Amino acid sequence: MTVTSFLIFLPAILIGSLLIHLIWPERSALALFLKFSLGIGAGLGISSILFFLSLLIAPGRVNMMAVQLALLVVFIAIVILRERGQAWYRFKSPTLSRLQWGLIGAVLLALVFAILASVNIYNSRPQGAFDAWSIWNRAARFIYRDPQNWRATTSPDLYWGTHADYPLLVPLNVAWGWETLGTETQRVPFAQGLLFTLASFGVMFASVGLTRTSGQASLATFVLICTPFFFETGIGQISDIPVTYFIFAACALIYLYFQLDYAPILMIAGFMAGLSGWSKNEGLLMVAVSVAVLAVTSRKKMFKPFLWYLVGLAIPMAVIVYFKIAFAPPSDLFAGSSHDTLTKIVDFSRYWIILKSLGQETLTFGGWPFSILIGLAVYAVVMYTNIPSDSRMRFFVLAAIILLQLLGYCAIYVITPHDLEWHIGTSLSRLVLQLYPAGIFLLFSSILEPEKIFAQKA
Amino acid sequence: MRLNLKKIFLALLVLAGFFSVVQSWLSTLNLNQGGAAIDAWEARLMPAKKALPIKRGVIGYVGEWDAPGISYAYWDQESEYLLAQYSLAPLILKKGAVEEWNVAVLSEPAFAAWQKANQGKFEIIPLKHNVYLFHRLANP
Repeated sequence: MTVTSFLIFLPAILIGSLLIHLIWPERSALALFLKFSLGIGAGLGISSILFFLSLLIAPGRVNMMAVQLALLVVFIAIVILRERGQAWYRFKSPTLSRLQWGLIGAVLLALVFAILASVNIYNSRPQGAFDAWSIWNRAARFIYRDPQNWRATTSPDLYWGTHADYPLLVPLNVAWGWETLGTETQRVPFAQGLLFTLASFGVMFASVGLTRTSGQASLATFVLICTPFFFETGIGQISDIPVTYFIFAACALIYLYFQLDYAPILMIAGFMAGLSGWSKNEGLLMVAVSVAVLAVTSRKKMFKPFLWYLVGLAIPMAVIVYFKIAFAPPSDLFAGSSHDTLTKIVDFSRYWIILKSLGQETLTFGGWPFSILIGLAVYAVVMYTNIPSDSRMRFFVLAAIILLQLLGYCAIYVITPHDLEWHIGTSLSRLVLQLYPAGIFLLFSSILEPEKIFAQKA
Repeated sequence: MRLNLKKIFLALLVLAGFFSVVQSWLSTLNLNQGGAAIDAWEARLMPAKKALPIKRGVIGYVGEWDAPGISYAYWDQESEYLLAQYSLAPLILKKGAVEEWNVAVLSEPAFAAWQKANQGKFEIIPLKHNVYLFHRLANP
């Protein structure tokens, strides 16, 4: 059952990977690995959208595996037709130095420990984290157990703590996974969570590898893998790692666009940003922030690429907007009156509480034996190198997205109708987590690589 | 000197990473079986699910907070309510005995207090392990 719980997602992953390959036909080993890692998320996004559409058209039991296999055959045919006569013989595996092999070995060894820890956590609590059963798997049960009446999962009669307004990427995949296996096994949400976690590592390695070197890619991935809070959240069967993955994927692709100057990459980035909003409401902030930053940037000779980004956003955003208008009850975060909200905005003690909490989070985040955020800041100072002028634009675009996203989270805290300290206490670490891989990517894409350190002579 | 410092920092980062991930793995070796409590809760509510004549729609949920004069731990009650919602999905659970059919999880004193306050309004169907079904009477 464990293996089949992973295998059921394989057609979706292949569909996602092939779709990305069709948009971005780069054939280097790292690009192919990046496209496979992106394909995991894109495929799971596509499968959830397909299931959502089928429930809209004909509510009831759907053989999603058959739908996906049919789609996969179509994609394979298109890719074979397009790849005929392409220069695949030029494909070479990269040559790595001893240092690079050593760092890749460190990544793999750390990955073994992280997976072993993940399996132990799953065995002790197969139902996942508190939010897994109260929100995400609760929604999956509504859809799987009564697909004719699946809309009940968004009923305004549901208690606010079940968050009936949350988007459905994760629960829909769990529900069709159960339908495919014919049983409500916890291994399906576990498999989905682990896939998003591993895909995040893959995107980190391949994207930093493309922007810098294999050694730098290994270090960035190593830091992410060695962050216990990251993989513990990943197997907690909640949507925080999917939204983290999509935010990070969109950020890495935006950065890659500026480096490679290939506009269709922005379409994939837009699709990923849209799927972040289909995973969790924080993703909608990412959509707004990234569109705003790219719109400002687009004034400088990139209006057409910006349109590519909007095209990528279109399908997931159409699904989200329809879901929010037609089904989702109002969010608990905007339940206060405008007078209450104004009172909170001018209450400066709230800003102080938020700032203090962010400071504390900086010290404790991630589960390292010391503050990894401060540790990385010190590491960045030690490894500082001048950012070349042609890299500055991408650096500032990504830094602006991350910073504005963080400010957006703080703004929500300012106006939250819930008790502020309770709200911060139950969510801040996960919000910081959502920006953590994108932050690691930006940092390791901007500092000195290990290859250069060991190549220089004292 | 500066170059050596960089090498030392790189090595420290790798060592600290290994320390972090190995520590994390070691801490998971003897985790308690937290999942068993959720399974037990689901099993406890299964008879109520079977006994309910409706399989979709809205039912009420009665917890200790509905029993007058009974002290309770708010977060325990909140968690039990959410667990009940998870267990009984796709039924929708509203707080209180507000629907025709209501499921209740009450300790003996809480049940006595609740029953005293709601005399004659509900048909009470006791199940096992302090779980009850309350069926609102048409003409109390």
